[in-house]
Amino acid sequence: MKIFFLFVLITITLLIAVYLFRVIRGPTVFDRVLGLNGISTKAIILLVVIGTVYERVDMFVDISTGYALVNLVGSLAIAKYLEERGKSFDVSA
Amino acid sequence: MSWVALGLILVGLFFLFVAAVGVLRLPDVFTRSHAVSLTDSLGAFFVLGGLALYQGFSTNLFKILIVLVLLLLLNPVISHATVRAAFRCGLKPWSKEDA
Amino acid sequence: MKSSIYQSLAIKTLSFFLIWLLLSQSFDLLHMGMGILAAFGVAWFNTDRTASGLTIPRLRIVWYFPWLVGRIIQSGFHLSVLILHPALPIDPKWILHRTKLRTDAGIVLLGNSITLTPGTITVEVDSQNLLVHAMDDKSADDVTSFRIEQQIAGLFGEKGME
Repeated sequence: MKIFFLFVLITITLLIAVYLFRVIRGPTVFDRVLGLNGISTKAIILLVVIGTVYERVDMFVDISTGYALVNLVGSLAIAKYLEERGKSFDVSA
Repeated sequence: MSWVALGLILVGLFFLFVAAVGVLRLPDVFTRSHAVSLTDSLGAFFVLGGLALYQGFSTNLFKILIVLVLLLLLNPVISHATVRAAFRCGLKPWSKEDA
Repeated sequence: MKSSIYQSLAIKTLSFFLIWLLLSQSFDLLHMGMGILAAFGVAWFNTDRTASGLTIPRLRIVWYFPWLVGRIIQSGFHLSVLILHPALPIDPKWILHRTKLRTDAGIVLLGNSITLTPGTITVEVDSQNLLVHAMDDKSADDVTSFRIEQQIAGLFGEKGME
């Protein structure tokens, strides 16, 4: 079973690399924000899987809950900022 | 029980993979956000659901369900905010004629 | 269904306290006392005293979420086929959807459900008008067929829907 969870961990990490490509590549700033959002969702899943591997789910679930909330506040702040900023600047690059 | 959990996790991994392919392939922000929201709702649902089943009936199951409900509530808010910002900045959505 | 301020305060305190118990998992007097204080404080700060209280949906909301998950899985498979198809047969379009729901809670739940369904995303909400971006005709059908909306209207006991 442990090998299966290691397989899950490695797969999700590789998928994060795909999202990282989108974050680096762009082309618009919103693509980067979307990519970061996808990465943080996968990080939350990853934390729960790590908790299952180490059999300390109770602790890792707390961490991932906190991460989800921090991610919400951060993403909303970035989206709000870009919404105001985009009215006067060109954000397409 | 644990075989069902294993199957659910594999289905979730499939959806996560599809979403990653979509993020690479799709042409613009709006369509890509569909792919990301697909991951958020389906991939997270199946993987976390499988992990919750794997725990058996305990408090850990409900704790994982809290994370799952939190994700299902908060992720639509985030993707809505991002797409709305893109829309209000006047980004042109890709349409079939552009291809 | 509108409830009084005290009723909504009590409901919020109770649900926050349940979450506290689940997350802390320690059942001695000190931790539970701290929990009930914190739950009451948060509920106190988050109760809107200008409006006439919390809108409580009917108990059918317990049934609504499994139904929504079923819809999500169906459209998720459709979207997966679209993405994995070699020719990428997508046809993105805008839908201007006018909802018949009137309560704020119903409209929030509708927008959230639309965004949660793969293939459709709520982009703008202006009281009763929703601007939705959809991946293709079949995804758009989730919104234009009023399927989700009828369920939500049943939850909040709204009239005017068939």
